Amino acid sequence: MAVYKRGYRRYDGTLTGRWTRFMVLPRYAWQRLYEQRLVLLLTVVSFIWPLLCAGFIYLTNHVELLQGLDKDFLAFIQVNGTFFSIFMYVQGGFAVFLAALAGPSLIAPDLTNNALPLYFSRPLTRWSYALARLTVIVGMLSVVTWIPGLILFGLQVGLAGGWWFLANWTLGVAIVVGFLVWLLILSLVAMAASAYVKWRIVAGAVSLAVFFILAGVSTMIDNVFRVTWGHIIDPAFSVNQVWRTLLGVELPDGPGAGASMLSLAVFVLLLVAVIERKLRPVEIVS
Amino acid sequence: MTEHLSDIPVVELDNLKVKLGRREILHGITCRLGVSGTGKAIGLLGPNGAGKSTLILTLLGFLRPSAGRARILGMDCRSNMGEARSRIGYMPENDSFVGEMTAVTFLRQMAELSGLPPKAALEKAHEVLFHVGLGESRYRELRTYSYGMKQMAKLAQAIVHGPELVVLDEPTNGLDPAARRRMLKLVTDMKEEQGMNVLVCSHLLRDIEQVCDEAVILKDGAIVHHCNLEEERRSNRSFVELEVTGDDRNLRTALPEIGAEGVSEGGGRWRIVLPAGVEVEAIWGLADRQNLLVRKLNHRRDTLEEIFLKAMGHLAHTPGENAALDVSGT
Repeated sequence: MAVYKRGYRRYDGTLTGRWTRFMVLPRYAWQRLYEQRLVLLLTVVSFIWPLLCAGFIYLTNHVELLQGLDKDFLAFIQVNGTFFSIFMYVQGGFAVFLAALAGPSLIAPDLTNNALPLYFSRPLTRWSYALARLTVIVGMLSVVTWIPGLILFGLQVGLAGGWWFLANWTLGVAIVVGFLVWLLILSLVAMAASAYVKWRIVAGAVSLAVFFILAGVSTMIDNVFRVTWGHIIDPAFSVNQVWRTLLGVELPDGPGAGASMLSLAVFVLLLVAVIERKLRPVEIVS
Repeated sequence: MTEHLSDIPVVELDNLKVKLGRREILHGITCRLGVSGTGKAIGLLGPNGAGKSTLILTLLGFLRPSAGRARILGMDCRSNMGEARSRIGYMPENDSFVGEMTAVTFLRQMAELSGLPPKAALEKAHEVLFHVGLGESRYRELRTYSYGMKQMAKLAQAIVHGPELVVLDEPTNGLDPAARRRMLKLVTDMKEEQGMNVLVCSHLLRDIEQVCDEAVILKDGAIVHHCNLEEERRSNRSFVELEVTGDDRNLRTALPEIGAEGVSEGGGRWRIVLPAGVEVEAIWGLADRQNLLVRKLNHRRDTLEEIFLKAMGHLAHTPGENAALDVSGT
């Protein structure tokens, strides 16, 4: 029977489970995100670099194609920690721009239209709402970061053989863990910007500016005080230190991996506190 | 002894105190309102700032009580809200929606968040939009809706998952007379046709009088009256405001002749309650016999106004108050 003829009747069927309900917000958000052409375009462009890297891996594993090249050059083009650190650096950059583009549409529309009481009057806590929004952006950025990274790692294992895997399995772990740390930072910055700035373009600009401003300030501290620890306040630098440590690549001057991890943990806690203040069903003015 | 399902009150408050900042808004409220699963409506009445919205927000678990306990459908509002929320629908007072979504997508998402499978959620979204009169505009983005349409969309999202209890905060705010009538009709349908319990918060007496079976009057964060409107309505009493000139000293003793009771407000003004079956013409006859000249006579049935004015302290006495059906015993 047509819906308009049927009339309203209360639903009395079975209810879905907790995880199905949790995934409702991410599902709808992803659908809305990929309806934006710019997001789709940037996502597609983000696959160019992994494709080039895949070509590189293929070449390094087919010596017959590289005959006639200089021996030093052949020794230089290796699939190792340095290769994956370059791959991660470029893809991490794409992730920054994607987060700035997609992040503002996460929380801002709900706050602008006061939709939070509607969400929180349903079986959805503030934390599960925040986690669902985090899942949206982490999921979206995963497609262009650790997933292609892991595919490249798998490709290398497939072409180089089991001995290469046994000698370099830590690289696979480093790719996943390293990227997830970066995605957590990016997602929280995007969410915080989205929670405080209701105008989307400005929120996107703010989430980009945070990284540039902190990088600038940290360089300033280093130069003014003639120190190297100023980069402790630069999350991008800290993440890079963590990546390099995980991949077994030499670290540049500055705070070590432990100090960088600590500064990232503090940064994450600050962002969580900032977001928590905003995600309330009612605002209480004392 | 375990409590039978039919005995579970819709709302149960036990010395509930709520603070916003350092200011205490609700001062130790204790009461039991409604019975779960009966399809009755409870009205929360009170002037602005009485604590109605604070009470609703506490019942929904948005605010934490500073002392005491609040239970909704038998579940604690602090420790058991997850389960309670899947059985509740809430229509907030202010604008609440996601502007970029079409009405049908928005409702579908809300239904899925309440636990409906995607297919059922889509069906219910369409059904309920037709039910509230938004069927033709269900594919329009919510931000393009008029105020009245947004109110209806808010109601639709509150009932899309078929809750046992629907909490409506000022549902007729800002609606034109036709839309207001439609909203009240929908609320009446919700309880009578669908068997939902409804908790209506409003400062409009007429709305509460029209749709509610039970009413609680709040003033300064405390319950000042709790009455059973259903029984009040069944008693079919009616109120008369009378203004006369002449010597009206004997009117009080004469009123029982026609079965009525009255309270003099001085200056020839009276408020009289007529029992069921006594028509207003009896007042004209009585005034004639007492040689009184009637200057003004207002006849109405909204007994709630009398109760409300008395609860607010605007009236010292209500005619027939001894017979009034006061379930709180105050």
